[in-house]
Amino acid sequence: MNRAAVSARELTVSYRNFRALNGISFVLEPGVTGLLGPNGAGKTTLLRALATAALPDSGALSVLGMDPCTPEGRLGIRRRLGYLPQDPGFHPHFTAFEFVDYVAILKEMKDRAARHREVLRVLDAVGLPDRRRKKIKQLSGGMRQRVALAAALVGDPELLILDEPTVGLDPEQRLRFRELIADLGDGRTVLLSTHQTEDVAALCRRVIVLDGGTIKFDGEPPALAAVADGRVWSSEQRDPRALAGWRTGVGTVRNIGSPPPGVPLLEPTLEDGYLLLLDATTARENVA
Amino acid sequence: MTSGREERAMEVTAGGPPPGGPRPPHGPRSPHTTHLEDQMLRAYAYGELLPPRLAHADAHVADCPHCRSRLGDLGDRARTDTGWARLRAVMDVPQPGPVERALLRCGVPDHTARLIAATPALRRSWLIGATVTLLLTVAVARWGRADAAPLPFFVLAPALPVIGVAASFGPRSDPMYEMTLVAPVHGLRLLLVRTVAVVGTTAALVGAAAVAMPGPALRALGWLLPSLALTLITLALSARLDPAVAAGVTGGGWTLALVLTFGDGDSPLLSGTGQCAAAGAALAAGAVIALTRSSFDRGLPHA
Repeated sequence: MNRAAVSARELTVSYRNFRALNGISFVLEPGVTGLLGPNGAGKTTLLRALATAALPDSGALSVLGMDPCTPEGRLGIRRRLGYLPQDPGFHPHFTAFEFVDYVAILKEMKDRAARHREVLRVLDAVGLPDRRRKKIKQLSGGMRQRVALAAALVGDPELLILDEPTVGLDPEQRLRFRELIADLGDGRTVLLSTHQTEDVAALCRRVIVLDGGTIKFDGEPPALAAVADGRVWSSEQRDPRALAGWRTGVGTVRNIGSPPPGVPLLEPTLEDGYLLLLDATTARENVA
Repeated sequence: MTSGREERAMEVTAGGPPPGGPRPPHGPRSPHTTHLEDQMLRAYAYGELLPPRLAHADAHVADCPHCRSRLGDLGDRARTDTGWARLRAVMDVPQPGPVERALLRCGVPDHTARLIAATPALRRSWLIGATVTLLLTVAVARWGRADAAPLPFFVLAPALPVIGVAASFGPRSDPMYEMTLVAPVHGLRLLLVRTVAVVGTTAALVGAAAVAMPGPALRALGWLLPSLALTLITLALSARLDPAVAAGVTGGGWTLALVLTFGDGDSPLLSGTGQCAAAGAALAAGAVIALTRSSFDRGLPHA
């Protein structure tokens, strides 16, 4: 049985005459998959294509077994999709309940009682049962993100696409979000776009790295960390031979690149592997 | 009616939960000192209670975490959950806002009322701005030079619904455009629901202003068909253009045409021939919208 929720082959998508995705191929199966990449790598374009908001120029794309290039396929995908865009956008005069109810109506839930039960269910699921009467404009950034996630969860979608859901959240809120997303990935396909390598390390069983519209890495997080095996070392001062180096909290400098002989090597992290995979100096700017 | 004495008879005094009885796992302590009897709670769990006892039990269970917890243990869990979800869906739902309440009173289905309530051009600020602008054009028409005074009104009156419609959808004005685009509801349906709401509201405002215009009443209604035509042309163009750009094209075109043809307080565009042309343009635009309806669920190119 084919378990792939998404299958792309030689997928190309352009945006304002710019080729944002350049012939990429991959499949997505149930579980949480992380999508990493610097700004402009094509992450949001990929998510928009999967969510049927952007149409491919060429290549084959199948989402939940349907073709997003046909009206019937788009409708079928939209009925089984949960999408949290980078900037969800809110009608600020709506309460949290009204906002999620509005999304439920957009998802064709017309029966009032059933729809309201579903809205309460998803607000409970994101831990906001007591905030439903609050106006969106009165909620903190973290609360708003949870409201937007609740909206994405309406109808119990099989495929969940989350575009940088942890941006702007404090550490505690990020932790709560991770717990939520980890639960959501149990039995459904979740694609999580993020700049936070920590989120990927904590949540994802698989990671895809995009850069310049092409896939640079597709595999398990430990394999991405292993890219930096034997290429991370510490020193008292920044090593001029390192591709990148930064002073850590303990006072020593963490260098990545090609280490000189005899230096103390360090255990690589996912971030080290990611930095080495991309151009280290430019990628460093994009990692929190 | 159940008397207060009967209601009290359905409750047992509780100095806390019964020995060995369940406590709410994490919930707050019950504000009640009395709780529903086991027999009544069981009947409630199985949906066997009738009004007015049902209403009393509803009210008590909604407010008493301890009895809710007992409810779960007494009755069939799934049945209780379903019943409780139904109850919550009625009791926990916030009251809709004034626009929605007004629409519901007019018989608009609640899901359509909520779609309309999210229309940016129905906000108070927009309506106040439109009203003030219209009043100014009427003031100019009444107290300005007779040959040119009605021009601002006839420029604005048909354009106002167009501006309102353009401000109601599209990536620039709808904060939820992206989420709306990927929702299964058809883009054209949402667009038409909002258009009808905006055109209806602004037409009422413009109609009220037209009554205050000097001159024959029939001429003051000359804006109606051009307004319909401009709105439909804007919608037809919106399949390919940003709605703000489409409104700029149609509104700008109307203004230019009216200014060029206006003289002695009138214009051929407002005459019978002009009205016929407007009706023809409206029909043609409507046909284009029907033929290109699938474009509205694809989103704007490059949006």
